Amino acid sequence: MKVSRRDLLVGGAGVTAGFLFTPVPWKLLGDVSIWTQNWPWIPQPAHGPVDTKQSACTLCAAGCGIRVRMAAGWPVGISGVKTNPMTKGTLCPLGFAAHQLNWHPQRLREVRHRGRTASWADAQTAFEKACTEGPVAIFDGRPGRAASSVLQAFAAKHNGSYRVVPSPETQALTPYADWSGVPVSALGYDLENARTIVSFGASLLDGWGTPGRFTHLWSEKAAGATDPQLRLLQIEPTLSRSAARAWRWIPIREGSEGALATGLARVLLEERLVATQSPMAPMTLEDAAAQTGLGTEAIRDLARTLVEQRPTLVIAADGNPAIAALNHLLGAVGSPGGIALKSKPNLSHVRPQPNIGPNRAVLLDSSVPWDFVPETTAEVFRFAAWDGGSSKADWLLPSPGFLEELTDVPTAPTSAVDTYAVSVNLIQQSEEVKNTAQFLAKIDSTLPDVEKLIHSRCEEIFGAKLGMVFAEQQTPVTKFESAQKLEEQLRQGAIWMGNPPKPGGFRCILQEWPARTAPSHTSDWAAAWLPPVLPPLAAKLYQESNLRDVPARREV
Amino acid sequence: MSARYGMVIDLDRCTGCGSCMVACAAENNVPPPVPRATPRTGLTPMLVRKLSNGKDGADLREAFIPITCMQCEHETPCVSVCPQQAVEVDKSTGIVMQIPQRCLGCRYCMTACPYHARYFNWWDPQWPPGMEKSLNPGVSVRMRGVVEKCNLCHARFHTANEKAAAAGKTQIDPADYVPACVEACPTGAILFGDLADANDPVSTAAHSPDAFRLLARIGTEPKIHYRTTQAWIRTLADKNSDRPTEAQHV
Repeated sequence: MKVSRRDLLVGGAGVTAGFLFTPVPWKLLGDVSIWTQNWPWIPQPAHGPVDTKQSACTLCAAGCGIRVRMAAGWPVGISGVKTNPMTKGTLCPLGFAAHQLNWHPQRLREVRHRGRTASWADAQTAFEKACTEGPVAIFDGRPGRAASSVLQAFAAKHNGSYRVVPSPETQALTPYADWSGVPVSALGYDLENARTIVSFGASLLDGWGTPGRFTHLWSEKAAGATDPQLRLLQIEPTLSRSAARAWRWIPIREGSEGALATGLARVLLEERLVATQSPMAPMTLEDAAAQTGLGTEAIRDLARTLVEQRPTLVIAADGNPAIAALNHLLGAVGSPGGIALKSKPNLSHVRPQPNIGPNRAVLLDSSVPWDFVPETTAEVFRFAAWDGGSSKADWLLPSPGFLEELTDVPTAPTSAVDTYAVSVNLIQQSEEVKNTAQFLAKIDSTLPDVEKLIHSRCEEIFGAKLGMVFAEQQTPVTKFESAQKLEEQLRQGAIWMGNPPKPGGFRCILQEWPARTAPSHTSDWAAAWLPPVLPPLAAKLYQESNLRDVPARREV
Repeated sequence: MSARYGMVIDLDRCTGCGSCMVACAAENNVPPPVPRATPRTGLTPMLVRKLSNGKDGADLREAFIPITCMQCEHETPCVSVCPQQAVEVDKSTGIVMQIPQRCLGCRYCMTACPYHARYFNWWDPQWPPGMEKSLNPGVSVRMRGVVEKCNLCHARFHTANEKAAAAGKTQIDPADYVPACVEACPTGAILFGDLADANDPVSTAAHSPDAFRLLARIGTEPKIHYRTTQAWIRTLADKNSDRPTEAQHV
């Protein structure tokens, strides 16, 4: 029988169609889909013993309590610690992916001198030489740590000066320190007892201070309530995340925060709404209204609200003294729900030394924000775990990354109560990195040791017999048998908290109304974030959603 | 009686911080986005969207709405269109499961999903060298070419089940099964629990007058509920509705 071309085509089509009615192609497809899920180049999670440890986050000065899930010796997940009295189980979005930061492509693993690879010995020789040739300035971004004491000791012994780069939150408290003589590190905000909080651009619901502290408070007292127990008034030009959730958002012209504060003060004083003695605010209400874009009646109403809804606490995003002076007028300084003096002065109050003369070298600790660039012609030694692409440092010195070093976490800048926690190195510190204290100890072996300093601070807390240690259970310090036991608890992720602040104790004296009324600014959601990089998964927030704008000057 | 796990998301509490998105990605081994990924092509099993009332000046209002797989209970659209049985509804929990090993990547389910809560994996999952050490060992890494979505952190459900079994119990302790987004939310905006249990707080919240469901009119009976006291959010959340819905009755 002769097979025609037509027969061949019909037969072929029939076989193909029939084949589709058998399970074979579908089974093959299924197998292929399974098979292609297991390409050898697809990373597989490490398997090994699983464990959970508690510690304190060291990404910013807030020091939130973290629960770290470890697998095969590596951190694989982070969550908040519910027993932490400050953060109550909350973290900022960056903290949840912080364990990935140590492998960020911009992680510094080698010493760099003006863009070229160098060695630790080279850096040490250069710094030693600089110390012998002239004064050195040492900058600390997070004062009060054990490592800060090492920096201070080195500066004192080697003709140097110890300086602090204050956080925006610390700057906002500086006017009260100036007016009262109390060190700024002894001041904080008693948020918990305030009835009304007026934020002049401070991102209270978006990373300000200890991020979880206010957020948790707001969710308990204000969220979703038409007549909330805590009223948040957000004053800023744009509808920020905090403004969107505030009880009232008061939009004003950009940079007119100081003018509004002065206008409010004018009303408070002219209408005798407050009893506080104060010099008269120099700006007329009409001028304030013109600058802010609000009506005079709106400013009057706002001033009356601040008085009627007391205790009222005013929080500025920066150190604008005109805004700070409102707290003085409203009687919020040293009062419950106002500016608080911590019950016991902080363990190490830092009094930054003035900038005296030119320096031969400048050393920046890894806690100094990457954005901070000292204006100097001196040789700059910068410690950093991640390279932010700066050409302003002569030496880039790789420091330990997240959870790679033993450090302590003193009181957060905005806290009204003293706290102390210890963050142990859950990951082995690699040989190619050193922190500032280790570097300086190589130069001067007589410097105090961080571990011993932490131990002596635990002894101080134990000796003072004040406060409580928060772990799974709360234990008063008086119940501890020894300082070693207390230190052991802190090293396992507990946090010590001092006694709550007592009213009074300090007062501010304003000789004249602060002249500075503008410009002020609003705070950035990642302002508290010190390293120059973000965890790669944070890109979900702005690259794969419209939720946030890319933070300025930060690499992902 | 089988459980029906679901959520009630309080939009009045959501500050749009994005902690849920990051925690979800870290828990489920979602890779960092490639540089050309966009909100449309990225992988965000939990996605917080910004809502605006569209007004100007002081009348402008914004809110945030976390969108995730709605865990549809009735005629689950993605289940009915999948040619590979790669999507299943777990009868004992009500969780809509995605099984990447079976998925062919045909994306019918993405087309069928009325909530746009499914994402196609366009790129090989890649992490910077060494970062694979930080992956969650309880969740497998998915290859490109498959569809992904929220499965209510099913790995955590397994862990809770194992713990209960080891203790000789047949029921898990509710405290042992909490999805990553719920755990991460700093304002407690996301309530999670068993909707079938009338005593569960999530069940009570789902029946409150402020509660509503997205696109309730299409009858898929999502197990993700929302609540808000602000009428404009409710209207916006279901603005394309052509007949009275749960979302508009207040």
